[in-house]
Amino acid sequence: MFFSGVLILFNHATIGEPAIIEMKDVCIRYDQGPEILSDINLALKRGSFHFLTGKSGAGKTSLLSLMYLAQHPSRGILNVFGKNVNFTDRDEMAILRRRIGVVFQDFRLIEHLSAFDNVALPLRVCNMNEKEVKKRVKELLCWVELDKHMYDKTSTLSGGEKQRIAIARAVINRPDVLLADEPTGNVDNDIARKLMKLFIELNKLGTTVVIATHSDKLITDFPYPRLHLNNGGLRIYEPRDFIRGV
Amino acid sequence: MSSRASALITRKQELPLHSDATGLFLEIMISIAVFLFAVTLAGVLSINSMLSAWNNSILGSLTIQIMPVNTVDIQKSREETLLHQDKVVEFFKSLPEVESATPLSDDQLWALLQPWLGDGINILELPTPRIIDVRIKHGEVIDYPKLAERLIDVSPLASLDNHKLWLNKLINFADGLKVLAMSILVLVVAISTGAIFYTTQTNLGLHRNIIEILHIMGAKDAYIAQQYAKRDAFIGFFGGVCGLVFAVPTIFMIAHLAAQIEGGIINEAKLDFFSWGLILSLPLFSALIAMLTAYYTVKRTLEKMM
Ligand SMILES: Nc1ncnc2c1ncn2[C@@H]1O[C@H](COP(=O)(O)OP(=O)(O)O)[C@@H](O)[C@H]1O
Ligand SMILES: [Mg+2]
Repeated sequence: MFFSGVLILFNHATIGEPAIIEMKDVCIRYDQGPEILSDINLALKRGSFHFLTGKSGAGKTSLLSLMYLAQHPSRGILNVFGKNVNFTDRDEMAILRRRIGVVFQDFRLIEHLSAFDNVALPLRVCNMNEKEVKKRVKELLCWVELDKHMYDKTSTLSGGEKQRIAIARAVINRPDVLLADEPTGNVDNDIARKLMKLFIELNKLGTTVVIATHSDKLITDFPYPRLHLNNGGLRIYEPRDFIRGV
Repeated sequence: MSSRASALITRKQELPLHSDATGLFLEIMISIAVFLFAVTLAGVLSINSMLSAWNNSILGSLTIQIMPVNTVDIQKSREETLLHQDKVVEFFKSLPEVESATPLSDDQLWALLQPWLGDGINILELPTPRIIDVRIKHGEVIDYPKLAERLIDVSPLASLDNHKLWLNKLINFADGLKVLAMSILVLVVAISTGAIFYTTQTNLGLHRNIIEILHIMGAKDAYIAQQYAKRDAFIGFFGGVCGLVFAVPTIFMIAHLAAQIEGGIINEAKLDFFSWGLILSLPLFSALIAMLTAYYTVKRTLEKMM
């Protein structure tokens, strides 16, 4: 007993800072279907920046949904901020999710609400006082140049405007982790570069970033490591591997 | 705390609960439930006041009847009966629980008998029973069977009739009615909470997308449950007010009809100030029940979601 206790202490000491998101032999399946991803092992360090690549249907969105805690792995261990999600109760999960910002592929805005109310969502769910909410949301909406549409219903806005709302909503709470699902999928190169710049800025401020994409251009232009999904498995490529491969 | 409370009231509701059809259904359902509840409750409260009035009258007084002495000579019979009456009055006056014992006068007896016998009959010419009205001191309880035994010793012609026999039957009947009415009250509450439970569940399914977004943004279940609780509190209150608007005239109408029954039995069924207060505060209770049911339904249902 005593020795195993010492061993555990020793273990922690050698690992150093735990990964922010860690997966051990993780599998994903939907209902009784086949496993979409199998035996995924992965550890994202605080402040890292990764691309997540793979063909359409490879499981990028599914893997991200594990990371933003929308589902549990069907097998294996998932630790987020050092907590094993299988042993975390619902309210604690909510608290963990507040530290994660997500930009969905299809934005997933609440259409009957205004731009302002959509962006305010992550602040309001943690009961921030309305004065502070107003201040922060206005500031951010000015920054993404949506102040003119602040009180317009989201359903009346264009795709590009919706995307900016989605991004503003993802970053309003200054998350520790930012997950973006094909954020440059529907925009031209110019805007894609601008978006990448924003993500890189946030990363420099300490945010851990994962961006799912199938754009080769993005990957070659920005030298970040790549999590690649293929046939239900995950391979990690360092940027130099990739360049060598080209 | 107060700023949090005010934020709760003024807070933007992310779920479009005010514009959906389940709200109208619930409001109609609750107004019907409160209508039934109010009318039944008025019934229960009236029965209660009736029962306590009857119980009081049992406690407060008793009537002694003395059969006429059976002889051919009417005048002699009358005199001997009056002797028995005096003995019985003496006996009752000697009891510490008794406040007064008053024999009915000839005029009073005649007034009682006249409806049956018709005019033009002199009761002095008939062998009539005598009646003694006995008042019991306030708060004293009489052991009726024992008293009846002692009374026979005093005079075999005297019999104790304390309304208890028939009132007892009436009281038992009213008690049964009360139990029935109370089970209706329980049933109405059960059906309403059931309906709120199912509409809330349906509604959660309807807004599954938004709820998932709220969860991913870090909303706790309580945050979502509060939005439902707040809406259903309003629905419960306004539904309750609608129900009362119909229930109050109905109660008055029933009371009016009941008052026309002769005999004064129903006259005891008065709703006092407290009863009316209870009935008029029903919307507060329906709001509270709707609120709590919605809150716990959401909490329970969400536990099976993401
Ligand atoms: N909610 C779901 N229910 C059932 N199957 C799903 C669901 N979401 C995704 N899938 C399946 O999982 C696989 C991976 O999908 P997805 O993660 O969206 O891949 P990607 O984002 O890389 O295109 C696909 O075959 C898809 O059909
Ligand atoms: Mg996808």
